[in-house]
Amino acid sequence: MHHNQTLDRTFFALSDSTRRSILERLGGGPATIGELAEPFGLTLNGVKKHVGILEEVDLVVTAKVGRARECRLGPGQLEDATGWIDAYRRTWERRLDRFGAYVEQRR
Amino acid sequence: MTDALRIDRVIDAPPDVVFEAFTADDGRLAFYGQDDPGWIVESDGDLRVGGLWTVTFGPSPDQLYRHRHVFQVIDPPRQLVLATTERRPDGFSFDFAIEFRFEPQDDRTRMTMTQTGFPTAELRAEHGRGVPNGMDRLERAIRARK
Repeated sequence: MHHNQTLDRTFFALSDSTRRSILERLGGGPATIGELAEPFGLTLNGVKKHVGILEEVDLVVTAKVGRARECRLGPGQLEDATGWIDAYRRTWERRLDRFGAYVEQRR
Repeated sequence: MTDALRIDRVIDAPPDVVFEAFTADDGRLAFYGQDDPGWIVESDGDLRVGGLWTVTFGPSPDQLYRHRHVFQVIDPPRQLVLATTERRPDGFSFDFAIEFRFEPQDDRTRMTMTQTGFPTAELRAEHGRGVPNGMDRLERAIRARK
């Protein structure tokens, strides 16, 4: 149950293009909230909200550095999420395979 | 939408045969069945627009999945559109749309399943476009840190 709730929240976190862009930016190295806000044309509060959603599922971790808050990629569940998609696709592929074999055998 | 999960198969039978099989009880059971011993699959369908088709399936009575499909479009032997809710054994559930197309290809049928609206549609789109490959690079970055 816990696992799927985490997946659910991870998918939600990844469902927004701004949040994916923030992750992409952080893939290149840590950045402060202010540095993240500028290229996206967002307010500091807007970025904090997005970062908060990513932080909830550990895709981002933040730490206070002086007067700024620095964000970096967290130990999040991205591999779980992509693994889930692959398994989901394989399940449907097997269904079509089985149905196709059934129709061909029946002829 | 082009950013969907799409899978197709060429089946060695004409579209009317494939469509008829898929909308009959035994074809639906074949679709959801598995060879695993003890695999459970029950299907009950009402083939009309607005009609309900429910399928319960899984490896054991305490690990059952349920698909609740509502027929949106029935256009034999070309197309079926379903509005579906998947409920998993742990209670996690989500809605998505499924379109099945049955297109003639010589004497055979290209059966294409397209799913849209499932939780990963946007994520899949990101992968599918490949530009800017953000997620791939992100995954590499995460792996590199491990």
